Parts: sequence; structure tokens; C-alpha cells
Amino acid sequence: MIVAEQKPILELVNKLRGHKNVLLIGCATCVAECAVGGEREVEILAPALRMAMQVDGNPIQIRTKTLERQCEWEFVEEISDIIPQVDAVLSIACGIGVQAVAERFSEIPVYPGVNTTALAIREEPGLWTVRCAACGDCILDETGGFCPVARCAKSLMNGPCGGTRKDGKCEVDENVDCVWRLIVEKAQSRGTLETLMKIRKTKDWSNSRHGGPKRIVREDLQT
Amino acid sequence: MDQDTRTGSFKPEIVVLCCQHCISPKFDLKSNITDASGLMKLRLEVMPCSSKVETAHLLKIFEQGVDGIEVVVCPVNQCRFLVGSARAKKRIEYARSLLDQIGMGADRIGMDQGKGLKFPQLLELASKRAKTVLSLGPNPMKGGK
Amino acid sequence: MSVKVETRLEQVLANGQFAVTVEVGPPRGPDPEMIQKKAAYLHGIADAYNVTDNQTAVVRMSSIAGSKILLDQGIEPVMQVVCRDRNRIAIQSDLLGANALGIRNCLCLSGDHQSASAGGKLNGHPGAKNVYDIDSIQLLSIVKGLRDDAVQDGGDSISPAASFFIGAAWTPLAVPEDFRIMRLAKKIKAGADFIQTQAVYDIARFAEVVKKAHEQGLTEQVAILPGIIVPRSAGMLKYMNANVPGIEVPDKMISRMKSASDPRAEGIKVAVELVNAVREIPGVRGVHLQAIEAEELLPEVIETAGLLPRPKLEEN
Repeated sequence: MIVAEQKPILELVNKLRGHKNVLLIGCATCVAECAVGGEREVEILAPALRMAMQVDGNPIQIRTKTLERQCEWEFVEEISDIIPQVDAVLSIACGIGVQAVAERFSEIPVYPGVNTTALAIREEPGLWTVRCAACGDCILDETGGFCPVARCAKSLMNGPCGGTRKDGKCEVDENVDCVWRLIVEKAQSRGTLETLMKIRKTKDWSNSRHGGPKRIVREDLQT
Repeated sequence: MDQDTRTGSFKPEIVVLCCQHCISPKFDLKSNITDASGLMKLRLEVMPCSSKVETAHLLKIFEQGVDGIEVVVCPVNQCRFLVGSARAKKRIEYARSLLDQIGMGADRIGMDQGKGLKFPQLLELASKRAKTVLSLGPNPMKGGK
Repeated sequence: MSVKVETRLEQVLANGQFAVTVEVGPPRGPDPEMIQKKAAYLHGIADAYNVTDNQTAVVRMSSIAGSKILLDQGIEPVMQVVCRDRNRIAIQSDLLGANALGIRNCLCLSGDHQSASAGGKLNGHPGAKNVYDIDSIQLLSIVKGLRDDAVQDGGDSISPAASFFIGAAWTPLAVPEDFRIMRLAKKIKAGADFIQTQAVYDIARFAEVVKKAHEQGLTEQVAILPGIIVPRSAGMLKYMNANVPGIEVPDKMISRMKSASDPRAEGIKVAVELVNAVREIPGVRGVHLQAIEAEELLPEVIETAGLLPRPKLEEN
């Protein structure tokens, strides 16, 4: 899922200073899964922000709502009756949700309350690790199901580099496995090590963000 | 909403959230719980397990103007629901870090372990919290929103 | 091994002579004088001189500029190229530019991640965007393509063909060890003509790996030059042993440096012993000496190891 991380309270206070009535909206999908923007987090952030703004000397009224998904127009529409009653929106959805709300309700400022950071999996409670980099050219079968684009600090196609630590972790982060070590070990266990001798050619990054702002059209689904 | 913070007129409002299994069966929960010392205003809430503590719940208590919260939990390896007090500990730590970011002071909330407690011990824990809170001053949320 | 480019380094190796390369770190500033000074006292002690490319992700004078300055001092450079900061367009462009300036040895590396910032000792630029458009093996293929086929990655031609003696790095002792020899073979297939390895301190371990490479015929296809970093202190060795992947330092060597009354002299002794030891390993065709921020130690090491004077060549 798309994962995001909390912005520090102080940063949110700086953003909201000057507003009197704010709508705090959560999203019950990805950001709820990573415990940063769901209903539960709305219930935590609303009192926290009211108190922080009080301490800041700028008391504020905060209304709350959690939408099923902020990236769908039909759900975003659900706040249309509240918008005239507030002077700003603070969205703790991912960047997509924030933009959907901002685009639909262009008359008032919409502030992002979290930093969207990765496409990740929850490995265990409290731990999310990246899995996908949306490179647009998936070759996961060639690397035993381990993505070198997202999980190698250098996105090597012909790794590992010389920076694999003795314990098999990445030189850049002692908590992160060297993904190429994982790829090699998988190939070894499957007896397919020879496939890693193939020189993987330069990657075509053009089907990702690098090729320009993404626009996907499916004519079969257009009305 | 100026409150007199450092003189004797500040009587902290302290809420004690106590797991029912920390309390001695000999302690009558319905008995009159007052603090004769006059140090604080005390409210005791009993929970079926300390894991009922949720971060949002703690923040909302502070939002109402309470000055300090003392959470009493069973020792970590004695929680009859196994992980209840361990979870409470994490949530309280999180609430502390939020209070710190908010600028209200992490020490407004804390946790202690106990078993077979009677009123005098609960009072002592609450008083300790009250004394810490005295130096932090009254909750800025006092006097309504 | 047929001579393709005729750099001094290539010729020495082709003649079967034991090659010596050293590393020169460019300054953290725009003044060429520092490199000119180093060139002066390092003149004649090596066959080629590596100029690092923003090593440990710290901004220094570029390796192409540093290489050109060395060239102007009558010294043959090896331009190091990392993949961290430049995409395939910029790298190919710099390679053409390097050739135009007379630089004809290059070393292809992936490069330390930008979070390295000199091991935390400097601010660096940990917030910089990650490029890594290509990796070191793709880079080897690209340089080979520019040289042997006069073609860029992507198919456009260049005219005339580029002219590079191509180097790659090798860290034989890093995890997963079994794969490191395969990776060496891959680098050779991609285009590596010579190899400079991560610093060697444990001769037995290194010899074991080179033996395997030798048995597979790899040492015929590529010239292996083990890297040797002159030790300055026991602390330095301990740090590298614990923190630098692929560097293994025997305890005996650490205690030897610790109990040395003159660490500078002892470090030089150790380096000389290492040079002499790697010379004995079949398949090793030279040595790559480094003395980080202390290049002035190199002449003494090389001389004491009996590697001077460097061979005279017919041309050049």
C-alpha cells in the first residue's frame, strides 16, 4: 500500500496558524493501514492539534471526518456540505487524496498533514518496508521476487555492489537486507545462479515518473 | 485564561486510570475517595485491563483540562491478558511524545506498575504525578474551548 | 591480451610487467595547485594515477578535471567514474570529453551512496537526489561500446570511436562471497580490462579467492591489481575491519600497529610486506596503492618494495 509518515505537530501548527475553523479529514484505506491517517489517527490528531494551537496562542476549532478513500471523487463529495463552514482543510491522506480534495474544493487551502513516502508492505506490527518503486518495467521474476529498484539503495540491475555488510545488510542502512544478497541466495537455493550471469542492460525508465507526468488511458473503460 | 501557575493556588486535577487487577480485592471501589491533603483534585477511573487505554482517549482527557494522568498497570509479566500492560506502556509513551510536541510537557502523563494496591498507595502514586505537574503548570486547555 | 588503447598502464600489463597504480584524491576546492604539488612528488612512482570521483559522496574537484591536471604534469591518469551522480547521458558525454582531453584510462564504479558524507565527518549532501541511472556493469558495457563499436547506449553512433583502457572494482571478500567470483566474470564479460580491488590485509583469504578466479581462467582475461591502503594506526585498521564491507584485517596486524613505537614507519613496513605478498599470488599482475590524505607516503612504500624505477617503454 501507499505509506506515509506523520508530520511533526509543530509543522502542522505553523501551517494552521491564522485559521480558525479547520476540517481534518482522514482516509480509511492505505494511510489507515499504516496507522497514520485513518479514523483512529484522526481521533488522536484532532485533540492534539487543538491543544497545540491553544499552547501556540491561536485556538482553533477542528471538525473531523474520515472518508473511505480520498482518491475517489464520490467519497470526496461527502464533505461538500462541511466545506462552506471551514476556512481550511487538513488532510492526512496520501498526496493523491490531498490533491483530489484540493482540486474539488479549490476555494479553500488544503494542507497535507503527512508525508507520503513509499509503496510498502507491513512486515510485522509497527514495521513497514518498501517493496515497489513504480518503475513501470517489472522484472520481479528475474530476481526471485525481490525488487532491486525499490530495495537496493543504488537500484542496481547487476548487483550486489561491494557494500554488502558481513551480516548481509546494506551498507547504507544496517537494518536493511542487501537485496542482491537475497536475490543471490534465492537463485542459489533454486539452482538458477547462472541466470544472474546475464548482463542486465540499461533500464528503460521512461515508463515511470522519469518519462514525464504519468497519464494512463484505457479506452475500453472510457464512457 | 491566565492561570496562576507557581503559587499555592494551583491544585492540579489528576485522573488515575487504574487496571482493576492492580487493586487489592479488599479495597472497596465504591468507598469515598478523597484526597485530604488538599494537594490535588483526584478522580479515579477503573479499567478492565490497562490495554483499554487508547492514545486518543488520553489526549481527549487532557483536552478537557485535566492537568495530569497517572496510569496504573499490572507488572508486564503479570497481565492476565498477557500483553495488555505492554500495550498500555507503548501507548502512554506515544502520548508522552505527542504532549512533548504539543508543548504541554511529556511528564503530564506517566505509568506505574502495581499489584494488590489499596487506596493509600494509589493516593501516593497520584500525589507523585501531581507534584510533577505542579512544575508544569495548569493545562492551557482549562476554562473550556 | 592484445593492446587496444596504448596507455602506459595497458602497455606495462601487456608486457607482463608488474604494474603499479596509485590513488590521488582531488581537493575540496577549485585550486589546481594541490594536485600539481602531488603530481610533483609522485612523479615516476607509478604507471597510472587514479583520480577519485566525489569519493564518499563528498564534493571535490571533478575527476575529469583532476585527471587533466595530472596529464598536464606528464602523469597518466585513471579517471574514476561513479554512477551515483550522473545519468547515462552525462556519463557518456564526460567520457567523450575525457578522451578529447587525452584521458584514456577509466575505472567504472557504482559509487558510495550519497548518505555516506565522508562517514559522517562532513555535512555532505545526504538530501541529494539519487541518480544511479545505470550500474557499474552497465557502465563497463557502455564504455566498451563506445570504444569497440563506436556506438552509444541506445544505438546512436559516435565518430571516431572512443579510446579507453577500462577498469572495474572488485570486492572479493564481501558477502555473498561465492557470488563475487561470478560477478568478476560478469565484469570481464561486460568489458573490464583491469581490476583494482578493495583493500587487502588478509593475504591468505585474498589468495584463496584469487586462486579460484585463476583456476577459472579469469586472471588471463583481466589484470588484477589488489588494492593496498597504507595503514596509519591500529584505530584505522580496526575501523575499516568493522565498518568497511570487504575489508578484513587479521588481529595480528592490528596488534602489530598498536604496539608499534613508530606507527608511520610500521605502516609503511606493513604496506611493503603486503605488496611483496600479493606479488607471489598467481594471477596478480600489479598493485594499486592508496594512502588516504597521505599520498606523500607512497614514494617510500613503492621504493622500499623494490618497484622503482618504473619500466621504460618504447614509445610514450
